[in-house]
Amino acid sequence: MRPHVQRAVLLTLLALLLALSACGGEDEQTYGGAEALPGPLPSGVEFEEPPAGGVPAPDFTAELLDGSEVTASDLWGDRPVVVVFTASWCEACKEQHARVAETVAEHEGVALLAVVPGDDAEAAREYAAELEVDHPVAVADDRVWLDWAAREPPVVVLVAPGGTVLRGWPGGVEPAVLADQLDALAPAQ
Amino acid sequence: MALILLAGCGGSGEDGIDVSLRVVAPDNNIRLEGAECAGARPFEHVHAGAGYALEDTQGEVLTEGELPAGIAENADPSIDWGVERIPTVCVMALSLEDVPERGAYLLQLDEGPPIEFDAQLVSDTEPLQLIVP
Repeated sequence: MRPHVQRAVLLTLLALLLALSACGGEDEQTYGGAEALPGPLPSGVEFEEPPAGGVPAPDFTAELLDGSEVTASDLWGDRPVVVVFTASWCEACKEQHARVAETVAEHEGVALLAVVPGDDAEAAREYAAELEVDHPVAVADDRVWLDWAAREPPVVVLVAPGGTVLRGWPGGVEPAVLADQLDALAPAQ
Repeated sequence: MALILLAGCGGSGEDGIDVSLRVVAPDNNIRLEGAECAGARPFEHVHAGAGYALEDTQGEVLTEGELPAGIAENADPSIDWGVERIPTVCVMALSLEDVPERGAYLLQLDEGPPIEFDAQLVSDTEPLQLIVP
């Protein structure tokens, strides 16, 4: 092959490689953003009425990891919500968060909302990507953590449809315990 | 000769000491003893990955790094709590090597006032306990 033909072939291959690598950029998604918000409750899915009384869950509005906003009460209007207070620097939180997400995924219609500290947004994006979270992640300031008495992550809280706090687990919860609580709220078969 | 002179320029000429510290967040949070922890509120700035700097009293940074994860220790070992989850403090171990010798040091965390300690309190056998204010 003549030298100028070789150069042309090499340049063509290089251009192809560049084009292919550019296509890979579409994979760069932000986990924990608005796309991860739950859609409407599937038809036919209903939940048991929570016990009377109880403490109202403190409502809040916060930014998600993609910069959009979430209002917590919009989530718990018609379904149970599991709230996980976590942080990117908390190694113990990663396993807890993943196990809670697995348990919630087994319960149709239940929503999961993760909350990270206000100064943790940048690192939390990597954290969310590492866990490949498929639910919203809110970046909430100290006021929210104080309102929820979340002194140290991980803290897991179960909120009933309508916004009553059913249970809270500082330090985390065993999946079987959370599953029992969710089963009690689950639609009758 | 030139090499010897150049080599002489490289060192600070100071002797270093090893400093072992127990950085304690006295948060009295309810945890399993021995569990991994971070400072609970109002010590939420004391956590794995948060920065620290060891300075002398003139403000010169002698060494710096990131805090490791803490370990929960019984907040009052004189009490038999009788339950699994007990009041604890969160303790982070720092081993600083070859620290330039000074009469006193300041441990500066990312937030909060520095914690000052006298060099005479540093021991080869027992880590020095510093309580986060």
